[in-house]
Amino acid sequence: MNEIIESIGLCIEKGKVNKASSYPIDMQGKDGADEITKSALIQNIGPDEILKTCNDAMQRIGEKFGRNEVFVPELLMAAKAMTTVMEHLKPFFQAGSIKTKGKFIIGTVAGDLHNIGKNLVSMVVEGNGWEVIDLGVDVKKEKFIKAIEENPNSFVGLSALLTTTMENMANTVKEIKAEYPSITVIVGGAPLSAESAKKMGADAYAANPQEAVLFLNEKIAS
Amino acid sequence: MRKKLSQIETEENTFEVSISYSDIKFDKNNIGEIIGYSDGKMPIHFEDMINKIIAKFPEKCEIHAGYKLLDLQYLPNKIDGLFIGNHFFKMENIVTGQLKKANKAAIFLCTIGDEMELWGQELSQKGDSVLAYLVDIVASYAVESATDILHNYIGETVKEFGWNITNRYSPGYCNWLVNEQQKLFSLLPKNFCNITLTDSSLMMPIKSISGIIGVGRNVKFSIYFCDKCNANDCTHRKYLLSKTK
Repeated sequence: MNEIIESIGLCIEKGKVNKASSYPIDMQGKDGADEITKSALIQNIGPDEILKTCNDAMQRIGEKFGRNEVFVPELLMAAKAMTTVMEHLKPFFQAGSIKTKGKFIIGTVAGDLHNIGKNLVSMVVEGNGWEVIDLGVDVKKEKFIKAIEENPNSFVGLSALLTTTMENMANTVKEIKAEYPSITVIVGGAPLSAESAKKMGADAYAANPQEAVLFLNEKIAS
Repeated sequence: MRKKLSQIETEENTFEVSISYSDIKFDKNNIGEIIGYSDGKMPIHFEDMINKIIAKFPEKCEIHAGYKLLDLQYLPNKIDGLFIGNHFFKMENIVTGQLKKANKAAIFLCTIGDEMELWGQELSQKGDSVLAYLVDIVASYAVESATDILHNYIGETVKEFGWNITNRYSPGYCNWLVNEQQKLFSLLPKNFCNITLTDSSLMMPIKSISGIIGVGRNVKFSIYFCDKCNANDCTHRKYLLSKTK
């Protein structure tokens, strides 16, 4: 049983989606996350156990990304393998036998159309067991407020790449906090730092997707 | 040898420059550097994907490039920006420091069209996030390369009058506020180079670059310009760094 669980983790960490996938080169022709998860469920391995191994694998690849040992393409491949596993686990989420950790609303702030960083955070957070509500790019503050209204007790992530859209980000944080003071807001993106995040009133700054996940996990544990 | 480009004057001091997809030279090592892979260490799987994207580029691009030459004025009693045409552009010293000795500004636009962006969006929707990401990287590289070609062309053209050029500066970068795009575009003919602005001052097509190049006898191009800025994740900086390796 341990072997099959470890194989799922390995497939995610290495981005091996399914048998047909030619990536990575050293796993060509071997079963991927898709086939092994199917087989694990047939063998009555608990979905919560599968989810845990996925979360651990995503954490490992996220840490490697944070150390510049792997780059965006590897992280995206891992997220794709993770999504494949999540498809198999979907019925268990729907039946309530396993639960998401919470809801995470994310978007790139108004004036900014960059979506890669935002998408990476979305995938890694989702891969760690959160339900992600992705509002897209160039998102006005009213849209964030509406999403929070529709999803009470959610957490919010704001992304920006342009130095010049930090003002929009600061305004969005301000508006969210004015309407929903208890909502946790994480900010991230190239022009930001922990200092600027604090200055604009955000609860946290995440330098990379893994930091966002760690913060969210700590938040629900406390 | 690079083939000679041509330009047509569409209005007074306003030129459209014809750049073809074949003028853009893709360097996979440079693209790899932008992603993060140093010394050509990009996994073969991703390199193959990039090859396929580059092969499709000719049918997915519609390059438009142009510029307008306008008078530029820097007033010592108003050091927080520059006058170009009849507008005052608010800029920080990082930009004005390079432009203040210029007599003219070449306001430029360059785009590769929206096909690459649409292709990336379609791939994303189909769940092929890796290919979508690489399409975005190649498209960004292509528009930067096309803008390099335009930049060099402007340099060669004004050289005939004994003028030099500076680096290029774009709203949204170097602490120059993105909403200054509105003023920049107001100086150009409507829909110049088939590029329009959204309410939040973003260009459509997305893979477009706008900006200013200083022109004059006493200006110069600075290779190490980015050393003056601490935005390590800036996309233009990554592009420039990839070119120097």
